[in-house]
Amino acid sequence: MTSDTTYAPPEDLDARRAMALKVGAVGLVACAFGYGFAPEHFFRSWLIAYLLFLGIALGSMGLLMVQHLSGGAWGVFRRVFEASSRTLPLMAVLFLPIAVGMTSLYPWSHPELVQNDAVLTHKAPYLNSVFFMVRALFYFVGWTTIAWTLSRWSRLQDEGDMSVNIKLQYLSGGGIVFYTLTATFASVDWLMSLNPHWYSTLFGFLFVGGQGLSALAFTIIVSTFLVRRAPMASLFKPSHFHDLGKLSLAFVMLWAYFNFSQFLLIYAANLLEEIPYFIARITHGWQYLAIFLVVFHFAVPFSLLLSRDNKRMPHRLVWVALAILVVRYIDLVMLVSPEFDAAGVNLHMEAGEHEGGFYLHWLDLAAPLAVGGLWAWMFFTQLAQRPLLAFRDPYLRESLETTGGH
Amino acid sequence: MAAAPGHSHDGVADGGNMRPIPPVIAPGHTFESVTEKIGGIVLTKRTQIGWLVGFAIGFALLMLMNMTIGQLLFVGIGVFGNNNPVGWAFPIINFVWWIGIGHAGTLISAILLLFRQQWRTSINRFAEAMTLFAVACAAMFPLLHTGRPWLAAYWLFPYPNSMGLWPQFRSPLIWDVFAVSTYFTVSLLFWYTGLVPDMATLRDRAKSKAGKVIYGMLSLGWRGSARHWHRYEMAYLLLAGISTPLVLSVHTVVSFDFAVSVVPGWHATIFPPYFVAGAVYSGFAMVMTLAIPLRKFYGLEDFITMRHIHNMTKIMLVTGMIVAYGYANEVFFSWYSANMYEGYMMHNRMTGPYAVFYWSLIAINACMIQLFWFRSVRDNVGLLFVLSLLVNVGMWLERFIIIVTSLHRDFLPSSWDMYQPTRWDFAMFAGTIGLFLSLFFLFIRFLPALAIFEMRTIVPEAKLQPEQHG
Repeated sequence: MTSDTTYAPPEDLDARRAMALKVGAVGLVACAFGYGFAPEHFFRSWLIAYLLFLGIALGSMGLLMVQHLSGGAWGVFRRVFEASSRTLPLMAVLFLPIAVGMTSLYPWSHPELVQNDAVLTHKAPYLNSVFFMVRALFYFVGWTTIAWTLSRWSRLQDEGDMSVNIKLQYLSGGGIVFYTLTATFASVDWLMSLNPHWYSTLFGFLFVGGQGLSALAFTIIVSTFLVRRAPMASLFKPSHFHDLGKLSLAFVMLWAYFNFSQFLLIYAANLLEEIPYFIARITHGWQYLAIFLVVFHFAVPFSLLLSRDNKRMPHRLVWVALAILVVRYIDLVMLVSPEFDAAGVNLHMEAGEHEGGFYLHWLDLAAPLAVGGLWAWMFFTQLAQRPLLAFRDPYLRESLETTGGH
Repeated sequence: MAAAPGHSHDGVADGGNMRPIPPVIAPGHTFESVTEKIGGIVLTKRTQIGWLVGFAIGFALLMLMNMTIGQLLFVGIGVFGNNNPVGWAFPIINFVWWIGIGHAGTLISAILLLFRQQWRTSINRFAEAMTLFAVACAAMFPLLHTGRPWLAAYWLFPYPNSMGLWPQFRSPLIWDVFAVSTYFTVSLLFWYTGLVPDMATLRDRAKSKAGKVIYGMLSLGWRGSARHWHRYEMAYLLLAGISTPLVLSVHTVVSFDFAVSVVPGWHATIFPPYFVAGAVYSGFAMVMTLAIPLRKFYGLEDFITMRHIHNMTKIMLVTGMIVAYGYANEVFFSWYSANMYEGYMMHNRMTGPYAVFYWSLIAINACMIQLFWFRSVRDNVGLLFVLSLLVNVGMWLERFIIIVTSLHRDFLPSSWDMYQPTRWDFAMFAGTIGLFLSLFFLFIRFLPALAIFEMRTIVPEAKLQPEQHG
């Protein structure tokens, strides 16, 4: 190990942070306009963008807990995961527009709709405005508590308190169970209930798997930034990127596996309560986006990540990771937008026939800038607060021994 | 607490108060002692009395299977308790149970190899053998459930016959034929490829003429040259790559057997990952059930160490928790779906005539496995043996619940009926256990149950290298 044990963040991190804030501010202004002119689209777009960055934060927390339990060389990226997971309080704040826009997004929040619909009446004990908010509050309190406790113990570890090591493992064990269960219910609340008649038991896995992939892609991007600068330039090895690449490949395959399974089972059964979800997504122009996702969310990253060199060389891997983040966003568009018509009205909100069809709104570009800018600002702020290497990590020696020579 | 002295390669944490991780091989072993110990089990002339007793039990049950098959072919498929509406009971339950057990072998041999998990080394050989035998047992059921297995060729395979009969390609059952036969073929190749260098070791060490000849033929002319090793490593890695998707695909297709239908309790999109997790879970339980007596009776505690026991328990905990998630998920969505048939299905499972099996299943697979969180449980080998047997029971009950409760009361109350297995159902199930035990006992007597040459790579001698490079 080098004599420098501060592992201070590189000089130009502040510039990135300031830049992120500017992007976020521009995005916010654009969103404010959007809210004025097209409030329906604003809430929908905000939801999509919000879920992307929430996914990075939560996925990072999940991977961090897996790392505490499993060990492994990819633990050198722990501080990136920790900084991402410490953005969760900001995500709780950014959830507010969704709470405000509940009636615009979710049909079950309209009592008159619920009264006239036997299915919604049946689901009302779960799908109602008060319980929705209570659950959201519960998720955020739980997630934030876990993320900050992990982070606090991690700082104690830096200060030499080795008694936290076992506590980190205990909390991670319980935390993973908590995260998986709450994320499943969050996926029902925030996404599945956009079409309140539809259900799929696999949906929670899809949601969690997507978050893991987003988190890995983001970690690759940040780590590529770090590996080009002191002090991490000498510490992140090709083998470490290789591990992130392999994990990304596994998550890309999982995404395809879950989606294919869900599609095949619902398509083959062709049941009235299930099939509308896919009819909405394989007709009216959305089918092109579906094909796009099959190619660019699966086939292309899968082929690229098979290559050993692409995984080991950060300057190549980072492009795959950037592309993955983009398709993650498009995947979320696919989950949300086909439930709305081109005017931004939820298709299940109004009685009578009205058809959806492919559309994009300029807010779909503005919202990710707003949420992403603010989120990245928070992330860089958090990243700068700690040494970039968890230098007292009990698995660290093993991590750094894994040299790239073989 | 300070780290264990002599930091070893296997990741003992340094500087922390982490509890020490047991080694993958007990200290003090050399190339010679490993070869002697594992090869000795096979090459000894003296057959142990314990082995004879165990094999006799297995063989007796195997004879029971033969008798059942005779009865089945003579009388017909009516000897089983299958009825209408439960047209598909013990044969498919046992098929899925056995196929699931097979999964641990492939996971250990392929995925853990690709992830460079060194602890796989001493359990991979017999886990792979277990896979093969389990798949063989599984294959008995669909074959015999056809009632006339000699006609199965054109029922199961797309065989161009003069009657113009083709299988229904849209049915997952026919996908299953391909998935399972691919799985068996690749597993067999994988297992045999790994055995070749050990066969050569046995050939060289065999005292008897027959041993020399038989092991000599099985070793395919292996001389251990650098070129042989190079090709061997290449082939083994390739086979691992090919096997990896099979770990997922086989049980995914098995889950499609149910989930593609529209039967309440079967048609659930979570079935594929939930079945795969359940398969790995039951597979590791079976590896544990076999490994614990094996290490005890043959004194292999140095090779199958507490490290292996711990890791296997942890994998069972993870996969078991996914299975438990599946149960919770089913309960929530049977309500959330607002579908009366789904709702009734869950109500019937919990309070219907088979409720006792449902709650036993929950007690084992959702409650009991929480014990695996505790280190004291993971250290208690005797208890783990009992728990691993219970997991096998729990996973059998899971298939029973899924299959029988969904079928016996479906949409029309007028067609509801109860299912009662007959003694021939039980005889057939016990018979396949006999087949499995017989094959496994023969395997440990005549083939090296642990990979000798791979074990040699993890003894300290193998680590003595010139200056580390890189």
